[in-house]
Order: sequence, then C-alpha cells, then structure tokens
Amino acid sequence: MLKFEDRLVELRPGETVLEALERAGIDAPSSCRSGNCQTCLHRAVEGVPPPESQVGLTQGQKALGFFLPCVCLPTSPLTITRPDNVGARRDAVIRAIEPLAPNVIRLRVDADDFAYRPGQFLELVVDGDLRRHYSLASHPEEDPFLEMHIRLHENGRMSRRLGEFKPGDRLHVAGPSGTCFYEGVHADQRLLLIGAGTGLAPLYGVLRDALKRGHLGPIRLYHGARSRDGLYLDEELKALSRTLAHVDYRPCLLDPDAPAGGDVAATALHAEQDVKDCAIFLCGGENLVRRLKRDFFMRGVSMKNIRSDAFTPSG
Amino acid sequence: MSNLYERLGGENAVNAAVELFYRKVLADGRIAQFFDGVDIDQQIAKQKSFLTMAFGGPNNYTGADMRNAHKRLVAKGLNDSHVDAVIENLNYTLRDLGVPEKEVKEVAAIAHSVRDDVLNR
Repeated sequence: MLKFEDRLVELRPGETVLEALERAGIDAPSSCRSGNCQTCLHRAVEGVPPPESQVGLTQGQKALGFFLPCVCLPTSPLTITRPDNVGARRDAVIRAIEPLAPNVIRLRVDADDFAYRPGQFLELVVDGDLRRHYSLASHPEEDPFLEMHIRLHENGRMSRRLGEFKPGDRLHVAGPSGTCFYEGVHADQRLLLIGAGTGLAPLYGVLRDALKRGHLGPIRLYHGARSRDGLYLDEELKALSRTLAHVDYRPCLLDPDAPAGGDVAATALHAEQDVKDCAIFLCGGENLVRRLKRDFFMRGVSMKNIRSDAFTPSG
Repeated sequence: MSNLYERLGGENAVNAAVELFYRKVLADGRIAQFFDGVDIDQQIAKQKSFLTMAFGGPNNYTGADMRNAHKRLVAKGLNDSHVDAVIENLNYTLRDLGVPEKEVKEVAAIAHSVRDDVLNR
C-alpha cells in the first residue's frame, strides 16, 4: 500500500514509487531515474523504504526516512511526503525568553510530541502567517523544552514580535527539518564543529548529543563572534572543556587586522590542516558555510563527513 | 566479455571516482568559474549520475536534462575547450584509480558523445 500524504496511490506490481506518483498525476520532479541524481527525493513518514532506494544518501537522511522514488519498489506499506514538508503545526507555549547577548535571545518553548534530533531546526509560527526557521540547541532526552538561540534584527517583524512575548504566551511550531545532526559518526572519529553567531545553537545541540551518545574522539568547537558579548556560551563552554579532556572550545573574536581576514572560518582553516578523517559540522551564514565546505572538501574530506546548515538572514 | 560498467566495478567505481573527479574539476582554473556558488552536495549527486552514464551504467539519458542543465553556462561562454578540460580531468581521475587505458578511452568516448547536448547545439 502506498500513500502520498493523505492520498492513497495505486501501486502496480513491478512499478516504482515514482512511476506510481506520476500515473496518479502527482507532481514529482525527476531526472536520471536511476537512483543517482537525487532530484526525486521524498521522505517516508510511515513505513520503511527498501535499502536500495537509500543508496547514496547520508546517514542522517536515511535515519529520517528519505529515499529515492525512482528506484523504490516497496516491500511493505509506505506513507510518503515531499522532502520539504514540515508537517502539521503544533501548539507551543513559551516557557522562558531571556537575553543571551545584545541582540541574541534564548527562547524555550514547551510543545507536546515534538520528536527531533539536536541540531535540526523547526519552523516557529506566530500570528498565523509569520514563520521563521530556528535551530534546536536542546536535547530531547535531557530537556523538557525546545531551545532556540535567536538573533534579533532591528526592523525584523519576528524580532519585534519576540520582543513583546513573555512566558505563558502561545505560538506554533512545525517540523523538525534538517540533517545537521550526530548520525553516521564513529565514536572515536575526530569531531570538528565550526559556527558563527547563533550558528552555535545547532552545534551546541550536536555537541551535547555526541557526549550523550558516548563520543570518545577529540571534539573541537569553534565559535566566531564580532564582539566579546557575542560569545554567548563562553563561560559554560570553557567550563565544559576544563571538565572533559576530549572537548576543546575555541572562541574566535573577529580580528579585522589579522592577515587572513580574522574570522572564524579563516582561523579554523589555518588551524585545521589535517582534516581528512574528521566529521565536520558547519553552521552559520551562507558565505561562511559555503567557504568552509568547499575548502575542507578540497583538502580531502569526503562530503559524507561534512554536515552543514546555512542560515539565511531574515528578521 | 562483461560490459564496460561491470569491468570498471559498477557503482563502487562511481563512488570511488566522483569526489576525486569533482576535486580536480574545482581545482582546474580553466573551468572552476562555472561552478562558482554551486552547492557541492547537489553537484556531487549530479556528477554521480553523469559518471554512471559515462561508465556505461544504468541510466535514462535523454539529452534534454543535459541541455537544460548547461543552458545557463553556455550563455556564460561554455565551449568545446571547457568540455575538453572536463574529459581530461575524467581521464586523470580514472588513471589515478588504476583503470586500464582501454577503459579510459571507452569512458572518454561516451563523455564525448554528449558534447553537443552539453553545448546546446
């Protein structure tokens, strides 16, 4: 049995999921139709796609049920959805909202039945139509709330609304999305986490998840900020790296006089020459993520070892 | 005699080649500009489907996708010399992996056969 969201789709014997979707008139993009280009990517929300329909996907994607309809001959019932479908909105109540740094707040909300992996992001919905994506710094097994670190923009609509919120106020969340989480990493692999600004939120989630799952290899976390205030978890992370011998926290204050640009990307690229076997997580603005991804790939890191989440600015 | 794709090692050969190949392309000053701002993850998936085709593997190549994918680049000046450079990098990749010359030539011949689609002519 095959379902596309709420709709039953007839699946003939020997037919791929892509063929069935097309025959049912469902708009499903495709290109190579042989399991390589990933244009037709979909996600199973119920049921388990056969392993041959997940070849070439990342461990994170596999764990979330992503698969390739063009090479999927289901052997058991499947309910599938488009890859960017964040699902139904859920009610959420603000538990705490407080400043972490000038222009950065920590928002904690309570939401029932919101399953996620630390480092994924959710969609926060306010007033019905105001929607933004924020990464999750909390851990589902340790925190009863969802935690986000949010940069406030002077004239941003969401920023203004967040400024008015107080504990007890209601909003909605949807998701989660994203594959920047601790999956497919070996326990003794070296972990390299690099982020700027509120890109620390997902990395902090990943760091906690790695520790919770007993990661043994060295973990190095670079956090970049324009000013000292922007290193908003400085004390906590310094304390953590004093307590745990395999955790090394590297705060990076922007230094415009430094020869290579002095930002966190330049600092990390300079310090991390031998990265071939690292599992790398990158979070922050698009330029930062693109530059680091490319440079580490060119230094020999396989893309399956680079997980990233690029933030697009919106107030 | 088994077919080219099997002789090369099938899907494992594609997996072994794709990142090596793409690194060479990105490091090649003659063609790197065409990949500016392109997302590496998406590009690797596309290169994988190109290599599968060039290795004689299972594909549904029609030419239309190849034309559409390169239209924007042709407008930016993509020409025969760039296609040559890509195939050259493909040859180097296969030699690095120890593929015999006979198979290297066969792969190059398939890659050459899509030249007109790539260049939209």
